[in-house]
Amino acid sequence: MYRYDEFDQGFVRDRVAQFRDQVSRRLSGELDEAHFKPLRLQNGVYLQLHAYMLRVAIPYGQLSSVQLRTLADIADKYDKGYGHFTTRQNIQYNWIALKDIPDVLEQLATVEMHAIQTSGNCIRNVTSDQFAGAAADEIEDPRPWCEILRQWSMVHPEFAALPRKFKIAVTAAEHDRAAVRVHDIGLHMKKNAAGEIGFEVIVGGGLGRTPYIGVTIKDWVSQAELLDYLEAIMRVYNLHGRRDNKYKARIKILVNELTPEEFTRQVEAEYAAQRDHEKIALPQDEIDRIAAYFAPPAFETLPETSAAFEEAKAKDEAFAIWAEMNLQPHKVPGYTSVTISLKPLGIAPGDATSDQMRVMADIAKAYSFDDIRVTHIQNLVLAHVKLDDLYNVFLALDDAGLGAANVDHGSDLICCPGLDYCNLANARSIPVAMDIQNMLAPRDKELGKLHINISGCINACGHHHVGHIGILGVDKKGEEFYQITFGGRADEKATIGDIAGPGLKQEDVTPALARVVDRYMALRKSPDDAFIDVLEREGHDPFKEALYAAD
Amino acid sequence: MSSVRPKLKPAIPKVVTGWNTQTGRTVYLTAQEDWSEDIADAAVFTGDAADHALTFAEEDQTRVNDPYVTEVDENGQIAGREVLRETIRAKGPTIHPDLGKQAGNA
Repeated sequence: MYRYDEFDQGFVRDRVAQFRDQVSRRLSGELDEAHFKPLRLQNGVYLQLHAYMLRVAIPYGQLSSVQLRTLADIADKYDKGYGHFTTRQNIQYNWIALKDIPDVLEQLATVEMHAIQTSGNCIRNVTSDQFAGAAADEIEDPRPWCEILRQWSMVHPEFAALPRKFKIAVTAAEHDRAAVRVHDIGLHMKKNAAGEIGFEVIVGGGLGRTPYIGVTIKDWVSQAELLDYLEAIMRVYNLHGRRDNKYKARIKILVNELTPEEFTRQVEAEYAAQRDHEKIALPQDEIDRIAAYFAPPAFETLPETSAAFEEAKAKDEAFAIWAEMNLQPHKVPGYTSVTISLKPLGIAPGDATSDQMRVMADIAKAYSFDDIRVTHIQNLVLAHVKLDDLYNVFLALDDAGLGAANVDHGSDLICCPGLDYCNLANARSIPVAMDIQNMLAPRDKELGKLHINISGCINACGHHHVGHIGILGVDKKGEEFYQITFGGRADEKATIGDIAGPGLKQEDVTPALARVVDRYMALRKSPDDAFIDVLEREGHDPFKEALYAAD
Repeated sequence: MSSVRPKLKPAIPKVVTGWNTQTGRTVYLTAQEDWSEDIADAAVFTGDAADHALTFAEEDQTRVNDPYVTEVDENGQIAGREVLRETIRAKGPTIHPDLGKQAGNA
């Protein structure tokens, strides 16, 4: 993984000292909240229902065991012994006191972490495929590009005060696990006719109150040209993005108000204009220097299969089911990537206790080349585990309450913090999620792959628009209601779901979804006929009928 | 939408609430112009007194953030459209009865 150089380290430490002074001036009354708020937001500090919330950046979701242990220590010392992993591949602490935050940031800096640009109208944490550098189906490791983008966008003076927040995702596999089509900019690495690897550039995707699927404005941009092309996009947005109305300020609105064709024309014109005198033209030796940080670990030469793994599956059914659900094919024979589900029953989706973080850190150190990833589905990944070691890994995880077998299935749902924590939420999402999980978990294996996404307000942190089943909490005269959408997806066939009809009361949501999955079972032709495929083939009507067919 | 709070009529009983500047904990204005983490200690205001209390709170920047008024009944119990949100603020997350003021460990 990338390691800080002296400039990175000095910069982050200076920022901690600067924020310590700003906090001190706020607490003494020298700064009022109106002046302090933009400063705290630049350092990831929000004010939520119960306390300040600190959002810590995890660049493209990658963590070492030392970093994860530090996050656990912070949870114990400054919070309430747990943290919440988010759909931006970051972590949030829910109970932080402002007076402690400079100390927290100082501790984070000791392990090359910070909270800069996790809020505010800037380029946020660049996200990626959680299996980057490991996945059998990727054409190249996208992490060096995430790191190059991180360095380019970090305190970039021209893009520090954009019309609105800005999110970039990068993937390098045909099957998109990074939701690149619902980002402000999505970069899909692919080869051109000459076999060179570059980037398809997708712009103007996003969720929130006005969801859009991004449009491809350039089929292929070379690696050397990438930053110049992105600067052209950012300049057009920075110049013409709306600043008069925050609800119309995202780049997706600009792209669609101008039309994608006109937006593309303006980007191309800007790109042509800057090419001669301001070109970055990223040098190959710089690309190579960053890529060297992501060199593959010292994999052993192993057979494709493992007798120990097969034997363990034969004797332990729970392990066999977990192995069927939670493993991802690895590019190196004899290895796999393990998804640790943070969706066991009875726990808020994405939450992990400090003890669980330490267990995962220890396992990563012992069995995964010290490499942990956070996924935008709010799970953690051990990137490189030997098949021979899987049973030991499973037993250690299960012992810590981390053995849930449900990845990509119904009970592995995405869920925002909702009204239990969030100052913007209109309705609770976690209790709804937990109730659905209780209903679906026993049926996960039978039902197959199913993505359910829940948001507690229209800002869509729970990505409800792109769930196969989406759930949006709304407030109707002081009562929580839940609007259901069908047919969303976040992969390479990204689609915004359609609203099924009137909202449901909280107590009616789980029974209604039970009827929906029963209808799916009645309609599917085989166990391989996935929920989303049946929905797309049969149309939404049978599912709407089931949704509203109360006994 | 919680960030756009309903305008409350002068006759409706209200308490003034906000967040402790140092800790971020939910606090309520007391009759002694102090701030308490327990809504049972909150002073209940109506009419001009509520406006004056809110003005005091807005000027008390060193101790409190983003103060506002929220509806209560004649006994000082949370009431009105924001009852769920304000109950969660007063007690803690509904999915974590072990955390927040409801658990006595705010």
